[in-house]
Amino acid sequence: MSSHEPFETLAAVYAVDALDGDDLAMFEAHLPTCPACQASVRDAHETLARATLSMPPQAPPADARAALVRRVGERRERRARGWLRWAAATGVAAAAAAGFAGTWVAVRYEARLGQMARDTAAVRERLARNEAALQEQVAFYRGVVDLLRDPATRVVDLRGQGAASSAAARMIWNDAAGGQLFVTGLAPAPAGKTYELWTIADAAPKPAGLFGVDPQGRGVHRVAAERGVKAFAVSLEPEGGVPAPSGPIVLASK
Amino acid sequence: MPTPGMDLIRAMAAGDRDAFARFYDRYAPLVFPLVLRIVRDRADAADVLQDVFWEAWRGASAYDSARGTPEAWIVMRARARAIDRVRAMRRREETFVAPVDEATTAASGGLSGDAAARAEDRQLVATALAVLPQPQREVIELAYFAGLTQTEIAERLEQPLGTVKTRIRMALARLREVTLA
Repeated sequence: MSSHEPFETLAAVYAVDALDGDDLAMFEAHLPTCPACQASVRDAHETLARATLSMPPQAPPADARAALVRRVGERRERRARGWLRWAAATGVAAAAAAGFAGTWVAVRYEARLGQMARDTAAVRERLARNEAALQEQVAFYRGVVDLLRDPATRVVDLRGQGAASSAAARMIWNDAAGGQLFVTGLAPAPAGKTYELWTIADAAPKPAGLFGVDPQGRGVHRVAAERGVKAFAVSLEPEGGVPAPSGPIVLASK
Repeated sequence: MPTPGMDLIRAMAAGDRDAFARFYDRYAPLVFPLVLRIVRDRADAADVLQDVFWEAWRGASAYDSARGTPEAWIVMRARARAIDRVRAMRRREETFVAPVDEATTAASGGLSGDAAARAEDRQLVATALAVLPQPQREVIELAYFAGLTQTEIAERLEQPLGTVKTRIRMALARLREVTLA
């Protein structure tokens, strides 16, 4: 950029702390190299200070002064011990200010550092939550992989039935370890209803748990081990489930 | 040419507690109306004021008179801390509409809020900002007292970003003239 004029406007907006986005990045890159802009920002701050101090003075609450004076007294005694840390802190602040447009930059960065510390804490918390969710997912997939590695495991396809003809499911089944049902394309159960899985050996179907699906029609369901199971079916049942199938069958294996 | 404020800061940097007390007595009543104007609540304003002067005590040795007067040093710090407080409250409550509305209304000379706030606004308008044409006063109010960024101001006023920037620059130029007169 050959003209300096745009920076003069940015300097004014920066001085009232209203610069944001690309303008802020551009100006903060420019400011340390430009004595004219540093002077503009300084000058604008002096203007704002004069305008501010033209407001009628107003005494703050008296206890604020007492608390401060007390705090300043306490600190002085401890300063000898905390000296190194104190020196480091003021040193950092002084270094941030040196060569820039004065204390204002330091104040802005102090504020931003405080904000960053709060943001970091929030991110850390979110990461911890995500990690827990991922751990759970890993454990789940590890279970499925272990199941698949076992030669006794078989994969059974379930086809959509009736109104749910576009649904499909796959059961990873092991007589000794139980199974894992994966469902796709199944509409979420209407209010007051749930999906119930049935295992079929030789006699009547036995209830094998309730499950739901997400808005994309996907669901997973863990099933306990059971000997001699030959077929699987899913039906739509009243919430809470029933001991024997009563509603429409939506998925069934051959 | 050292001013009384500079002497006080130098003494504070050397650990002089009496100098700090004098510094507080000199500047706290000048800075308090600004903090109160921004955070609106007297107890919150007193809290912010304590943080500001505590930082001044701790940062006295970093003060450089070549970079600004003690007045600008303490005012800019106070404004920054007050805005921090307001932004923190805004994040907590997700409702910043009221203070901004008040600022806008105050800027346009309208009446809102309780009587004390109105009196404050009138006092403010009766001071240096009073000389500004309304469109310029409005952008300074929203940036300096309400802590909005240029983009937020542009959205709020439904004006192009370039207009907002120009108004801020013109407002500062005008304020400079009148406060130096």
